[in-house]
Amino acid sequence: MSDPCILIVEKDLLVRTPLAEYLRECGYLVLEASSAGDARTLLEDGSRRIDIVLAEVKSGEPSGFALASWVRTHLPNTQVVLAGTVATAAEKAGDICQEGPALSKPYDHRLVLDDIQRLLAARDRNDRT
Amino acid sequence: MVPQQLLQPRPARILVVEDEVLVRALIAEELRLAGFSVIEANRADDALTYIRAGQQVDLVFSDIQTPGLLDGLQLAETLRDKYPDIPVILTSGNDDPKYVGILGTFVPKPYDITKTIELMSAILAQKSPGER
Repeated sequence: MSDPCILIVEKDLLVRTPLAEYLRECGYLVLEASSAGDARTLLEDGSRRIDIVLAEVKSGEPSGFALASWVRTHLPNTQVVLAGTVATAAEKAGDICQEGPALSKPYDHRLVLDDIQRLLAARDRNDRT
Repeated sequence: MVPQQLLQPRPARILVVEDEVLVRALIAEELRLAGFSVIEANRADDALTYIRAGQQVDLVFSDIQTPGLLDGLQLAETLRDKYPDIPVILTSGNDDPKYVGILGTFVPKPYDITKTIELMSAILAQKSPGER
């Protein structure tokens, strides 16, 4: 079985790069997108299964919310975790990403890893039942 | 006793600047498989911000046509002036390589990934370990 694949959507290179490197060191295959539009291009490409999308809420147009909605409609097996700074945005994210908690920025790498591991474990449990 | 990790050279860090996300993801994946550490930027502006922030970069591989204020040529020009220890490889499907001049090595698109990685390795090998 191949390593789980995480797609990080974050426009700030100085934020995205260390987070991506941290998750690679944890054994994940990590794809990077600087916008929700680029993320959708990678998701539509379909050359690899993307297990989790970790997206910034304010990721330009389309927004992280719109990306999450698109993923839920078209790729129901892909989980979305939205990150943002606004509390209300986090609440909305909780509605959109039914299984995915919203994360606060700046990212705590350990918390991100914990969330990813929990989501993948839950998915594996669902796959078995 | 020195931990084994400290005795091993760190992988070279290559900053890839490419706005086509599928192209960038492909070259980044191949570079990582070849043992490099890869930073992915979609704009030359972001690449320069990253370097100016003091992040370690050993080589820049940049498309010439990039969105934003700077294009790849301007990025290479800035690096030549301010960060002369960072070699630059420029790529494009359109530009005449004569415009690249002394700013860097030119690789026309579409490029052979294996040969491009060999070129990067050769350029990095010319840098002394102290420069990395």
